[in-house]
Amino acid sequence: MTLIQDRPEEHLVHEPVLMEIVPGPRPRGLVKYITSTDHKQIGLNYLVTSFIGFLFAGLLAEGIRTQLIVPNNHFVTESVYNQLFTMHGTIMLFVFLGPFAFAGLGNYLIPLMIGAPDMAFPRFNNLSYWLYLGGFLVMSCGFLTNNGAANFGWFGYAPLTEAIHSPGPGADMWIIGVALTGFSGIFTAVNIITTIFTLRAPGMVMFRMPVFVWNQLVTMFLLLLAFPVLTAAFALLWIDRHLDGHFYDPTHGGQPILWQNLFWFFGHPEVYILALPYFGIVTEVLATMSKKPVFGYKGMIGATLSIGALSMGVWAHHMYTTGAVLLPFFAALSLLIAVPTGIKFFNWIGTMWRGTITLNTAFLFCCGFLVMFLFGGITGIILAQPVLDFQLHNTYFIVAHFHYVMFGGSAFAGLGGIYYWYPKMTGRMMDERLGKLSFLVLLIGFNLCFFPQHDLGLRGMPRRIETYNAGMGWNFLNMISSIGAYIAGIGVLLTVINLFYSYRRGQIAGDNPWDGQTLEWACSSPPPDHNFEALPPIRSERPVWDANHPDQLTKVGH
Amino acid sequence: MVRLRWQCLLCGSVRAVETHLLGKTNFGSPGGVTTQDHYVRQLWHITYVFAVPIGLIVLGGIVWCMIRYRVRPGHDRTPSQFQYHIPIEATYTIVPLVIVAIVFGYMYNAENHVDAIAKNPAVAITVEGFQWGWRFTYPNGHEEVGTVANELDINSNDNLPVLFMPAGETVQLHLVSDDVIHTFYVPEFLFQRDLIPGINNVVDFNVIKPGLYSGQCNNICGVYHAYMRFLVQVMPVAEYNAWYAQQPAGSITTAGVPAQS
Repeated sequence: MTLIQDRPEEHLVHEPVLMEIVPGPRPRGLVKYITSTDHKQIGLNYLVTSFIGFLFAGLLAEGIRTQLIVPNNHFVTESVYNQLFTMHGTIMLFVFLGPFAFAGLGNYLIPLMIGAPDMAFPRFNNLSYWLYLGGFLVMSCGFLTNNGAANFGWFGYAPLTEAIHSPGPGADMWIIGVALTGFSGIFTAVNIITTIFTLRAPGMVMFRMPVFVWNQLVTMFLLLLAFPVLTAAFALLWIDRHLDGHFYDPTHGGQPILWQNLFWFFGHPEVYILALPYFGIVTEVLATMSKKPVFGYKGMIGATLSIGALSMGVWAHHMYTTGAVLLPFFAALSLLIAVPTGIKFFNWIGTMWRGTITLNTAFLFCCGFLVMFLFGGITGIILAQPVLDFQLHNTYFIVAHFHYVMFGGSAFAGLGGIYYWYPKMTGRMMDERLGKLSFLVLLIGFNLCFFPQHDLGLRGMPRRIETYNAGMGWNFLNMISSIGAYIAGIGVLLTVINLFYSYRRGQIAGDNPWDGQTLEWACSSPPPDHNFEALPPIRSERPVWDANHPDQLTKVGH
Repeated sequence: MVRLRWQCLLCGSVRAVETHLLGKTNFGSPGGVTTQDHYVRQLWHITYVFAVPIGLIVLGGIVWCMIRYRVRPGHDRTPSQFQYHIPIEATYTIVPLVIVAIVFGYMYNAENHVDAIAKNPAVAITVEGFQWGWRFTYPNGHEEVGTVANELDINSNDNLPVLFMPAGETVQLHLVSDDVIHTFYVPEFLFQRDLIPGINNVVDFNVIKPGLYSGQCNNICGVYHAYMRFLVQVMPVAEYNAWYAQQPAGSITTAGVPAQS
């Protein structure tokens, strides 16, 4: 509290000095893109880069589905197929889903939502972005090398990743690329945690922050706990490959299972790093579009915190079939995650309950998230039980499960977030008709693609196989799935067209097109440098609503 | 009295649904052919009994809100700004906790049975996976081997390595690997276990139903992962004994199903 009260005096002292350091016209165009330390510009850089990653990895996925559309297909070779699914997974997770939310939307929105002029460490922020872009380019350029990109799956189980089994620079570039995005993630986490703890506007106490910011905060702590372990594991792998280390090499007493433990100790929190910010997006969109406060605001935050805490203790549920982990412990914690996730679902319903709902594209995408994440969550309960996992592990049932969570869940919420905040970022609304069409096509394509994969898994089709025997009873379902993948691709392209179209032709949005509730709607669209001319009084978690609806104030001090 | 009757009705209908609807379906999963199948199926049922109604309630809530509270854009009606309802919130925290405890209880029981290892198995076979093929070694040193090199076409099962097992007996498999991680996976057994260099996994199967089942490596193990397939030939005990007696100690059979089995 004292921190917040002290700050205005500090500002008064330093502000004139700042004005002198930045004279003349601000850089524009490419120079601005390269040099800017403004959190909004860096956030946009992240958003655009990660969306390009999404499109690129999506293209790789279309390649995967084309290979599998009929049995015994020869669209690509075995090795290329392995590269396709490895890089699809790696780019989707490390370049798109994570950075899109925690770095892209996080950078852009967190300072706005807490009433701060910028991030705590703006130049550090810029460095994070360039490390991230470097990582993306390095891992993707693996495709240009002699042996191709990495080809051992995105979780690269040792000892397959050892130099003797996977020679060539593609795997090394994968290691470097992921490590760079890992460093970028750590730096972003440090930056955002510091920003949230020290740069909140007067009155913005922790329990008045939007749920989006709370979820980001918990995500950042997960990042800080998980990514260093990942980077260390990758460093050991690098030593194994190039400096004759034997950390994961069983022939010299190393332990392949060590890699799995290290990787999943990162990997499971990572799953929630890819989910929590999107929960935040959904919470904000549902509340705004229903014209109501978030139902059970504090319960929501409690659920986020307990998901964060539990997610640190469930990594070995990816390793049930290794026979080297204590099954009941990890099963119990994994099942328990259903409870806070359930709380979130009921709170989301409570938020919409008796609201005034406008079915626009942003809201539809978030409802798509609700339904598909629900389904992915239920299959998650099945997979959390070791006995059922023995049956389903590494089959297409798993593939279907995590695509329902990550694509039908997170990516849908991310698209909803784009439609919701695009007016704030560009000053123009996105086209609603094209948006709804995109949602519908994507919804149909997605379900056609991934629903049959549950059945494929139950019929025993392993993931990551390059082709399959025509007599296994998998032909029809694979055909449907591939057709669905193409339709989903069209759905995504419609949104891409919409992004470009609306940038020039969209309706002028104004400052607060949705009757928004949180502070980002108090500044102009797009916001000016250093964000706020003036702030509304912050007496609850939705100051802009309180300012615009003085007769419907949010009740305080429950 | 009335309440009792309601309870009976409820229990009865739940049981009826379970036996008539759930009992006859496997939810698309292949019918298990081992003694473990009972526990796996039981877990599927328990999970469905809780997950389906809860899923439907949540889905119904979402769809209800979307339809019932929908307004046309620009229709300004400010809804009531309620935000907390402690009894409801407590209910949907505590009830799921209880359900999780119940599911965990069943799971724990099932897991102990599925993972149990017999002290005196009828047959102990060493299953070795390598890039890219399988080697099944029997107690007398007889080996059944098959590699990708023998397998010319993914559509042909002719040259796959075959694991011969007696039916109705406890068969213990010792799973080993010398190069990278593979997974022993037979969909009909509803089970898989990794072959990890440095870790010796042991699993028991008691297959009730004789037959020919297909299995496959289920962990990415390099370029020809998709081709790392095998067959499991489960035979009645007498037939198995006859087959086993014909295999000279230390002999090696390379890939191929016997003409008659």
